[in-house]
Amino acid sequence: MTNQKSFDPYDLFNKFSTQWEKQVNDLIMTNTNNPRFTRLLQKSTETSAIYKEMFKKSQDLLGDHLHLPTKDDVTNVAKLALQTEEKLDSLEEQIWKLQDSISSTNKEIESIVGVSSDIIKLTKQLKTELTKTKLELAETKELRSDLKVMKNELADVKGLKEEISILLQIMSEKNIDKKNQAVSELVSTQSK
Amino acid sequence: MSRDTLYNNVIPALDIEKEINRWNRVLNITNQPKLSINQTPKQEVWKKNKASLWLYPAVEKKYDVPIFLINSLVNRAYCFDFTPGASVIEILVNAGYDVYLLDWGFPGYEDKDINLEDYIDDYIRKGVQRSLRHSGAASISLVGYCLGGVLAAVYTAIAEEPIRNLALVVPPIDWDVNTFIPDKWLEGIKNGTLNLDRFIDGYGIIPKFYQEQMFKALNTPISYTPYINLLNHADDKRFVEKWCTMNNYLTDTVPFTRAAYKQLVNDFIKDNKLVKGEFAVHGKKVDFRNIKENLLVLSSKYDTLVHQDQSSPIMDLVSSEDKTLEEVKAGHLNIALSGKLGVELDKWLCHRS
Repeated sequence: MTNQKSFDPYDLFNKFSTQWEKQVNDLIMTNTNNPRFTRLLQKSTETSAIYKEMFKKSQDLLGDHLHLPTKDDVTNVAKLALQTEEKLDSLEEQIWKLQDSISSTNKEIESIVGVSSDIIKLTKQLKTELTKTKLELAETKELRSDLKVMKNELADVKGLKEEISILLQIMSEKNIDKKNQAVSELVSTQSK
Repeated sequence: MSRDTLYNNVIPALDIEKEINRWNRVLNITNQPKLSINQTPKQEVWKKNKASLWLYPAVEKKYDVPIFLINSLVNRAYCFDFTPGASVIEILVNAGYDVYLLDWGFPGYEDKDINLEDYIDDYIRKGVQRSLRHSGAASISLVGYCLGGVLAAVYTAIAEEPIRNLALVVPPIDWDVNTFIPDKWLEGIKNGTLNLDRFIDGYGIIPKFYQEQMFKALNTPISYTPYINLLNHADDKRFVEKWCTMNNYLTDTVPFTRAAYKQLVNDFIKDNKLVKGEFAVHGKKVDFRNIKENLLVLSSKYDTLVHQDQSSPIMDLVSSEDKTLEEVKAGHLNIALSGKLGVELDKWLCHRS
C-alpha cells in the first residue's frame, strides 16, 4: 500500500489537549469571575502588601544600623544620573534654540545688508544726480546772466531805435524845411 | 491475511526517522536555532533614561513625511522589526519611508514614579521634536500600537508639533465596553472593591513574571497547547524555528511602572477619563476634538485582548475630516509580528505623505 498514511500519534493528542485546555480555562474563568474571588484577590494582595511593607521597613532599619545601602539608596543614585542626563538634554535643546536664533539673526543681518547695499547704491545715484543738477544749475545761472545782458542790450537797442526814429523824424522835418526853403528859393529866383 | 498486514491496515506505520527528528528537536529545544530579529539597519538618534529613539533610514527615500512608531509599554519594541519578510519596519523602509522608533527599553525600580503623563510629555513629545529636527521634515506621521496607540492619540490631542497623520493600531480607548478583563473583575475595579494599588506600591514596578502571569490569567490561565503544537510539528525545522522565536517574544515582556499602572487602572479603566474628556497631561486637558489630523484606526478581527468596540469610539470623538476605521484579519500580536501592519500602513500613508 503505497499511499498509506504514516501514523501520527500526536495529532489526536493535540485535538484532545486543545479541547481539554479550553474546558479547564472555562472552568477557571467561571470560578474566578465572581465577586467572591475578587474579594479574595483583594484580601490576599492586601496581606501580601502588608508583609512586604513590614519587610521593607526592617530592611531599611537594618541598612541604617549597619550602614548598608538599600534599594532606595541605589534608586536615588540612579535618579541623580537621570537628572544629569535630563540637564544635558535641556542644555542641548538650549544650544539648538541658540543656533536657531543665531541663524535667524544671520538671515536678518543678511537681509539688512541687502537693504543697506540698495540704499548705498541709491545714495550714489542721488549724489551723481546732485552733481549733474549742480552743473545744470551753474549753467542755468550763466544763461540767466547772459539773458540779463541780452535784455539790457535789447533795452539799449530799443533806446537806440527810439533815438533813430527821433533822428529820422528830425531829419525828415529838416528835409521838409530844406525842401520848402529850396522851393521858396526857386520861386524867388523864378520871380526875379 | 497475515497478522502484519492486518496491523498495517488498522494502525498506520510509524515513521521512525520522523520520530527521531521530532524528539531530538523537542529534547534540545533550548539549543534550536532561532530566526533573526531586529535585523533592519538602524542608528540611534537620542537616548533618554532607558528609552531610545532609533532611525531606520529608507532604502530609497520616496516620502517627505517620516513615520514615528510608538510601541506599547508592555511589549518589546522589536515586535515592529520581527523576522525578515515579516517585519513592519522592513516593509516601510523598503517602501521609501524614514522610520523613527521610540523604544521604551526596560524600566527599572528607579523608574517607578514615571506615569503615563511623563511618558507622553517627556518621551513622546521630545522624541517627536528630535525626529522632526533630525529629519528636517515639516511634519510627521504618528503610529501607535496597542497602549502606544492610546498614548499617541492623547499626545496628538495636545501636540504643538506638526503632526500630519495619526494611525492607531488596536488602541484600547473606551473601557466602558466589552474588554478582555472578566466582567466581575472590571466591576470590582470600577466600584473599588478590587484595588491593587498597595500591592503594586510594594513592588515599585510590576515584575516581568507578574506581568506575564497577569496576561495569562486574563486570557488563558492554563496554556499548554502551544507545547503540544510544538511536539506535533517538531519534525518541521522551520516550524520549530518560528515557534522558538515567537515563544521568546511572548516571554520577553517589559515591566510596568507603578505610577503608569495606577494611572492606567484608575484613570483609564476605572473612570474612563479618555472618552469623557477628563484626562489631563501635566495640566493640559486632553480633548480628542483637537485631533484634526488624518486618522486611521486599525482593529484586528481575531483579537482577544482589544476588541473593535474598544477602539472605534474614537472615530466619533475626533474632528478629523479624513478618518478611516479598518479591520485586519489578524490577532492582537499577529498584526505586528506577521508584518501585515506594514502593508496596511503603506497603503494608507502613501497618499498622505
